[in-house]
Amino acid sequence: MEFLIFAIGAAVSVAAAIMMVLQRNAMYSALFLVLVFFCFAVFYVLLGAFFLAVVQVAVYAGAIMVLMLFVLMLLNVAHPEPVDRRLAALKPFGVLAAIILIVEIAVAVGRSYAPPAGAAAAGGFATAVATPTPIASTTTPASGAAQIGHTQLLASVLFTRFLFPFEVTSVLLLAAILGATVLARKRPGETRGYAELRE
Amino acid sequence: MPELPFPLPALPTTVATEAYVVLSAILFAIGTLGVLMRKNALTIFMSIELMLNAVNLSFVAFARQFGHFDGQIFVFFVMAVAAAEVAVGLAIIVDIFRSRHSVDIDDVSWLKG
Repeated sequence: MEFLIFAIGAAVSVAAAIMMVLQRNAMYSALFLVLVFFCFAVFYVLLGAFFLAVVQVAVYAGAIMVLMLFVLMLLNVAHPEPVDRRLAALKPFGVLAAIILIVEIAVAVGRSYAPPAGAAAAGGFATAVATPTPIASTTTPASGAAQIGHTQLLASVLFTRFLFPFEVTSVLLLAAILGATVLARKRPGETRGYAELRE
Repeated sequence: MPELPFPLPALPTTVATEAYVVLSAILFAIGTLGVLMRKNALTIFMSIELMLNAVNLSFVAFARQFGHFDGQIFVFFVMAVAAAEVAVGLAIIVDIFRSRHSVDIDDVSWLKG
């Protein structure tokens, strides 16, 4: 059952991702990306990261994609992008580079999981993966984890061991808010609004 | 869903971690393809989001593999950075659109040597 859900999710996510890249209309790309994000939420549930699944839907499929669609509609650039003008000759190289990348990753992953005669030759990654001993010494003991919920445990780690990065993140978000406001505001002396720019 | 025992590898799972890693690699490569192929700055942006999400999937898969929470915490921070990046990046795109009336990256190649 779990594998079935994973297989469907994987097929849908890969198909939607390919459609997202191939779509000439940016609006359809955005909607396909929302579909990919929902598939990711499904994977997170399968992996036991329930809270991350909720955050994935709320933050990515919700906030970030709404912001992106908002900008798409604001700029009114949803019309299909013209077929390449100048860099058309470079497109095959882009495809080639992506294929090389995926082959490289496949070889790297495949090599780690198919151990040669000497398992040590495959590197530390294979040996580490081959022995999935929990190294959860930094988190609460597993005995207590069964009682308290998964999300509660996540929060306890986030607000103790990762408290400083958490606070730094808040500063980062503040900087992003200020940066976005400064970049997108109307310049002094600039009188044209978006309505005229569309024409 | 019943309550989850914490050492996540103890779950009876039928989907191996390598399946998630391979899927993550495929999606990352598709995202790379989008960045390399597309001319629309907004589509390139979405492809970058796809790549970030693919990495997140690897993080969560390995978090389960090792029964460790740090991977999931990292995903949180990646999401926060992605949100900040989207806000600033879209502001930059809006600004470029205001000066160039286009979101085509070929129209903003003045820095190219």
